[in-house]
Amino acid sequence: MNTKTFLFAGLAVALVIAAMAPFIASSNPDGLESAFFGIFGAKEIQGSEINEEHAEVAEEDVTAITGNDFSFESPFPDYTIEGLAKFGEAAAIIIGTILVLGIAFGLSRIMARPE
Amino acid sequence: MHIPDAFIPIPQAAVYWIIALIFIALSLRWARKEMRDDKIPLVAVLAAGIFAIQAINIPIPWGTSGHMMGAALAAIVLGSPFAAVFVLTLVLIVQGVLFGDGGLTVMGANIINMGVIGGFVGFYSYRGLCPLFKNVYPAAFIAGWLSLFIAALVCAVEMAIAGTFPLELGLFSMGLYHAVIGVIEGGITAVAIYLIHTARPDIMATRSGMVSS
Repeated sequence: MNTKTFLFAGLAVALVIAAMAPFIASSNPDGLESAFFGIFGAKEIQGSEINEEHAEVAEEDVTAITGNDFSFESPFPDYTIEGLAKFGEAAAIIIGTILVLGIAFGLSRIMARPE
Repeated sequence: MHIPDAFIPIPQAAVYWIIALIFIALSLRWARKEMRDDKIPLVAVLAAGIFAIQAINIPIPWGTSGHMMGAALAAIVLGSPFAAVFVLTLVLIVQGVLFGDGGLTVMGANIINMGVIGGFVGFYSYRGLCPLFKNVYPAAFIAGWLSLFIAALVCAVEMAIAGTFPLELGLFSMGLYHAVIGVIEGGITAVAIYLIHTARPDIMATRSGMVSS
């Protein structure tokens, strides 16, 4: 497989994964979030039910503990595009994938340049 | 395992950023030294693929889910733990800035856990295990599993220092969930190495202890 084919085949695989992601990904909390809910009483550590009310309180509690209330508005929060449902999510992840490819490619080119 | 801003006090987050910046500088030095034209597509494809696969959360028991981290894969394929720092830093910056996935003040901690710990544990356990198995795939699987599991334990320790999780309960719950999520990490790491090895055996790093087949 030549380099160009490899690059495009790799990008194609990444884009297929990106497009599928919102349709097949689990919306369960990830490991760190789940541990957080368990420790802050919004969920049993080995249970699966999340108490939404307690989850909100937990988020306030942790901010009070650390004092880190930094927040900023990302353009596509949680991989969503405002007004678009699942297809917006797929588009957001595809945009991200292409952007990461572009940045990695560009930076690597700069790094590979001789002095 | 992306830590949000609220989980670490800002002074501690700043310390993690300083440590992360040292490793980022070392990863740039790696790139300056090792990056050749034929490696560029592999780095770019790995970064894009790792970003995409991190969007797929796979359900595990206990109402939880997890996704691949990709640091072991990047380190093994590119032949250096600093390659994982290089790739994961780019992925984490885009995730944090564009998608609010992982905090900005705590991004240093996320780079340390997923890039540095993931990359170093993945790379050196793979190197150590390859001669033991005489086969790259079981070595890659275990290296992937370990990279995620150890990163999760380090994350639990950071949470304890932050005062967010009690140490024992944090280690138990993070360890429990990530012992299972690690199977995903190990599995995809081994499969991806197989696919890359099949497509372009020539561009895979050889110094990483790849056993020729």
